[in-house]
Amino acid sequence: MNVPSIPPAAFATFPRKSTTPSVQTMTPDEITRLIFRTALKERAAFDLLYRHTSAKLFGVCLRILQDRAEAEEALQEVYVKLWTRADRFAASELSPISWLVAVARNHAIDRLRARKKPARELDEATDIADPAPDPETMAVAGGERRRIDACLEELETDRAKAVRGAYLNGDSYAELAARFGVPLNTMRTWLRRSLISLRECLER
Amino acid sequence: MTTAEHNGPERRDDDMVAAEYVLGVLPADERASVAQRIATEPDFARLVDAWESRLAPMAEAYQPVEPPAALKQAIDRRLFAASAPAASRPGLWSSLALWRGLAVAALLALAVYAGLTYTSLPLFQQPGQEQGGAQRLIASLAHDDTDVRYLVIYDGAKRDVALSHVAGDRPAGRDFELWTIEGDAPPVSLGVIPTGSSVHLALSEALGKAIERGAVFAITTEPLGGSPSGAPTGPVVALGDLREI
Repeated sequence: MNVPSIPPAAFATFPRKSTTPSVQTMTPDEITRLIFRTALKERAAFDLLYRHTSAKLFGVCLRILQDRAEAEEALQEVYVKLWTRADRFAASELSPISWLVAVARNHAIDRLRARKKPARELDEATDIADPAPDPETMAVAGGERRRIDACLEELETDRAKAVRGAYLNGDSYAELAARFGVPLNTMRTWLRRSLISLRECLER
Repeated sequence: MTTAEHNGPERRDDDMVAAEYVLGVLPADERASVAQRIATEPDFARLVDAWESRLAPMAEAYQPVEPPAALKQAIDRRLFAASAPAASRPGLWSSLALWRGLAVAALLALAVYAGLTYTSLPLFQQPGQEQGGAQRLIASLAHDDTDVRYLVIYDGAKRDVALSHVAGDRPAGRDFELWTIEGDAPPVSLGVIPTGSSVHLALSEALGKAIERGAVFAITTEPLGGSPSGAPTGPVVALGDLREI
């Protein structure tokens, strides 16, 4: 076979396909790559992933746990989980940010449920108004948010509130039942019907 | 199953359980049993994923808050303190270098196995010399928890993926399936990887474009003949992204 000699130096490094993105312009593709490289135990990728996503995930933990020290502890646990289980992302159909938020949300909610004392002492905290999302986020996924908002508006006001409260604050069936003054089973029926309507609306 | 049983006569259909889990309203014990099902029942896990994805736009309402600077150091201490005291990470880097060395050896072996003629192989050209803009990309697919190693070479001109088996056997009664994943799109199967040390898979134009845009590769173990649903069901045993060569 006609094999030319190959300088070994040609193989010394495989240049990365993309250059390091700046903080503001991480695309979903770039975050996907960081998650995969984290799964391969590249610490540099893990550091970048943290730099680009920790503020969002800390926001999730803070809002659900309503306690700064506990949210900091939860965020640490979330990134430990991400380091050890980043490969699971490959089997998921979620966008990278949705997947990261799901990991953080589920972890924070599990922590909230594991508390011995009543989960929420600061009741007013649950009524934090949703601040308007920043324009950049709007540009990326504004359409999807408007769509789910429109579908929530089709529900009765109380039920839409309960769905949002549960999703954003991690309210339990028991807490929602107490807040809206209905029996727990009624609340469960409400929310299940609301979820079914929501799905129908989103798939319309 | 278990979730349904311990909630009395009312049979809770899986999709509703998935929705309630994602919404976050279940008590601790039910959340724990749902988490268990997610880990062990791929079909159920997909229902959960679908609800995560439906409700995800609500998460835009979470306002980012910068965590304290010391927090990342605390995470690093938890994860890496035992292995590396200060900023040293020679262990990782040298193992990466080793793996890259292995990839080079495999690449050369692959080129020989595949009987590619070097004259038609722009492998060793400098970047920018590619003919007609066709790309040639390489990915080393690996995973820390397995010994499975594959090397992938994508040839843009021929829309061909050459796969070289470097190490690690498929479990008895299971197949390896190759996937590409582009951004937030669902993984697309390139098919079951045939046995053999070096194999080729032909690609559609759309898949070739996805790969050129930076899609990553992953290998999962699946039932013989490949995933029945068209989406990955088994664990990822190797993955990697493409680099230019």
